[in-house]
Amino acid sequence: MNIEFSFIVIDDSELDRFVTQKFLERSTKRLIIKSFQNAQHALEIISETIIEDTSIPTIILLDLQMPVMNGLKFVEEFEKLPAQTKKNYRIIVLTILSSASHPGDIDRILTYETVNSVIEKPLTKEKLVSLLKQIRSAI
Amino acid sequence: MSEKIKILYVDDEQDNLVGFKASLRLDYQILTAVTIPQAINCLNSHPEIRIIFCDHRMPEKTGVDFFEEIKISHPLPVRILLTAYADVDSIIGAINKGNIFRYIQKPWAEAELISAIDEANKFYMASSMLSVKNNELQKAYVELNKFAYSVSHDIRGPLSGILGAINLAREMDDIEDMKEMLFLMEKSLKKLDTYVLSMHDYYSLQRGELKITEIDFNEIIDELQAIYTVNSKINNVAFNISVTQDEIFRNDKAPLRLIFNNLLSNAFKYQDKKSNNKSVEVIIEVQKGVATIYVKDTGIGILGNHVGEIFNLFYRSNSAEVGSGLGLYNVKNALLKLNGQIEVNSVLHKGTTFKVTIPSI
Repeated sequence: MNIEFSFIVIDDSELDRFVTQKFLERSTKRLIIKSFQNAQHALEIISETIIEDTSIPTIILLDLQMPVMNGLKFVEEFEKLPAQTKKNYRIIVLTILSSASHPGDIDRILTYETVNSVIEKPLTKEKLVSLLKQIRSAI
Repeated sequence: MSEKIKILYVDDEQDNLVGFKASLRLDYQILTAVTIPQAINCLNSHPEIRIIFCDHRMPEKTGVDFFEEIKISHPLPVRILLTAYADVDSIIGAINKGNIFRYIQKPWAEAELISAIDEANKFYMASSMLSVKNNELQKAYVELNKFAYSVSHDIRGPLSGILGAINLAREMDDIEDMKEMLFLMEKSLKKLDTYVLSMHDYYSLQRGELKITEIDFNEIIDELQAIYTVNSKINNVAFNISVTQDEIFRNDKAPLRLIFNNLLSNAFKYQDKKSNNKSVEVIIEVQKGVATIYVKDTGIGILGNHVGEIFNLFYRSNSAEVGSGLGLYNVKNALLKLNGQIEVNSVLHKGTTFKVTIPSI
């Protein structure tokens, strides 16, 4: 059985949001996608949303380098939300920083419990497929 | 010579102080102190002191200990030790311990004092130039670091976005989706192009020499009108300009143009798209050798706590995908070059007014 996920895409680049969304639409069938240009705004919506207990988490695809509130700041704020809310989400960081060129930033964000993994941009079909597979097997 | 060199002389014997001052006061500004605490007070209130003479045998502590004590708090003045004792051992130790430039034996010969002052002053000038250069380097280094970070975001960002889009395009069959994506790709490339252009502005401001010409603001305005009229029509933004110039104004045209371009493109860029009453207004008044320029918009405004940061390198106050974080930083640097000032007055959701004043050169 294929589990269908919900997604939240947070990225300041319009093109990146578009591409991510299209890739998602093509790889899973019935899914809900919300996208945000501004991490602050996304955080407000997430903290206000009450999710009925489901076993399927919502996946947050998060860009790292954004103005106003960057990805790292978002994760720090997200960590402060009640456990009840947090357990409904998995954060996947999408970034142009490679772990080779910026080990500090990548290592730091991976220390947070809610951050599942880091994927280097650009997103491709192959990366997305293996990511979804990994999350499904973890549930 | 503009100002006399300031010299501090510390000695517990009042007679020496008087004699020293008497023979040198015409050519130098001599400050004196009879005790070490007095000397430190004097150094604190006269940071421009270039040379310190100190007697080695002082009651509270030796001259060497005094020099060692002020090594950290007052590193700039050049130190000269005066000693009545030809105690070579203590002097060698002293030179290493207290960063002492040279020593003079008492009783001194005036010619020897003057040549010591001369040499010490040269040394002071060389080392303070070094510290100025050092600060400049430090600043350049910090900016270089920011650049390295920004290159990854502002250049690699759009590139990876476009790569991702090409990757996706291989699988797309809906022509409408494709068109939408091409439009977004174009926007990304334009942004990258703007970034590269403002980087060029940044470097020409840093390196370029001033080229002073007579400025006719009406001419500049004609250029701006040609550039922004299209934008004004497409986006339905009223665009008004008024110029009052009855006198000659001299300045460098390139940084002036840069200032206008950045302020105006921001004024058009940060309009509230939903508003029915959009306008950009430019007022230029040249009076008594000063040009005062207002650029007013009815845009989205700047958050109060962001206003202090908008002129910082790579700072972006808005998350909409337009700014590079270089524009206003370049404006600030251009104004620094032209001796100008900028003020900003902004009300969130109402609009922003920049007021620029630039003196004629």
